[in-house]
Amino acid sequence: MTFHVLDPTAEKTAPLGQAAPRLDTLKGKTVGFISNGKEGTKGFFRHLEQILREEYGVAKVVSRTKSNYSAPADAPIAAEIKQWDAMISGIGD
Amino acid sequence: MQLSSRTYEADSISAVQELYHSNGWTDGLPIVPPTADAVQACLDWVMMPPDQLIGIEPVRGLAITAEKLAVNAVMAGCLPMHFPVVVTAWTAMMQEPFLMHGATASTGGCAVLVVLNGPIRHEIGASGGFNALGNSDRATATIGRAIRLCLINLMDVRPGAIDRSTLGHPGKFSYCIAEDEEDSSWLPLHEQRGVERAASSVTVMAAGAPRQIMNEWTTKPEEILETFAAEMRANLRHYSIHPGNYALIIPKQLREHLQAARWTKTDIANFVHERARIHRREWADVGKGAVVRDRGDSVYPAMESPDQLLVVAAGGPAGGFGAVIPPWLGNKSHAVTLPMGVCIDCEPPKA
Repeated sequence: MTFHVLDPTAEKTAPLGQAAPRLDTLKGKTVGFISNGKEGTKGFFRHLEQILREEYGVAKVVSRTKSNYSAPADAPIAAEIKQWDAMISGIGD
Repeated sequence: MQLSSRTYEADSISAVQELYHSNGWTDGLPIVPPTADAVQACLDWVMMPPDQLIGIEPVRGLAITAEKLAVNAVMAGCLPMHFPVVVTAWTAMMQEPFLMHGATASTGGCAVLVVLNGPIRHEIGASGGFNALGNSDRATATIGRAIRLCLINLMDVRPGAIDRSTLGHPGKFSYCIAEDEEDSSWLPLHEQRGVERAASSVTVMAAGAPRQIMNEWTTKPEEILETFAAEMRANLRHYSIHPGNYALIIPKQLREHLQAARWTKTDIANFVHERARIHRREWADVGKGAVVRDRGDSVYPAMESPDQLLVVAAGGPAGGFGAVIPPWLGNKSHAVTLPMGVCIDCEPPKA
């Protein structure tokens, strides 16, 4: 007996945003950090900030923390991103 | 309207199983072959075209259609008459307060608890009696499984993909119960949450595994409920202090003592809200002293308000047992209750 059966997956992918242009250098740039608020992000981002400033010449680091670590970034944080040259999002698990 | 899903051909029932397992389209158990006829029967039952938009998942923007829910419902073993529940549960899950993406992706490993109320329970043979939290009946078993298969296949909530659960729990195979409304003087859950009693209704909650309690040695409501509250305090100490929706499953034996003393669900919620709370310093007793810091005197209630407690009458007739079902992660997800759609001047097709 031959079965004709249907694909159970969405078969369509969600619309994706466009990647921002890549930077030639981090020197003198502003980098934003978005933490999900978990404990593990604190030491990690502190260390990363030090590396970015000392080894890559990043001028400014802006740190933001989501109010709900399981939800997308709050609207005011998302609105701020366009002021940064680069953004790093991190989860503390 | 034609179904739009891609069709595969398989020479035998075994070949169907291998096709679905090898593509990662199952929960590891055998599936019912989702043929076009079976899927169309589900759509006919709810009187929806295949491309009916059930909702758009708020975080990733994925459109969920009736056809795709039906394919997965058939795979789970659902009959057409079960499908309206699957549609309503998924509609509820896509409401923003439920936070479906976070709840299903989290390392916390919760499952979607589905509670059925109203006439639909009788129409589909969903039982709120013996073994209510286990394999009580065909309807709740298959509906709960359909919820999970839809997550796996429509949202890529597969272990190690979107599903990042560290442990998960057995409710991730199926976690659906019906309230035993007839054997209770309490308001049914849906009515307690603002839906008309006569309406069939579905409540979804991002939920941890049930924590069973036992107290057969009293008839006093305060003592019975103290046992439930103690289990909630244990959850606050051992798992998470975030306040949110907890569910209490109260079977007949304990329920009769509470009802004989004329305690309503509201009375229960008020009492439990007062009793289910801990001081932050208690974490030091369970190995979490490092996070007490200078806030040891702070008090953490299990719920922000009594109405966050979902009291459900369910379970077999004998045994002084009950269960506390804790939230995935407090208020990060809120339980959602929706009435099921009805058509007052039409009826589903004859089976």
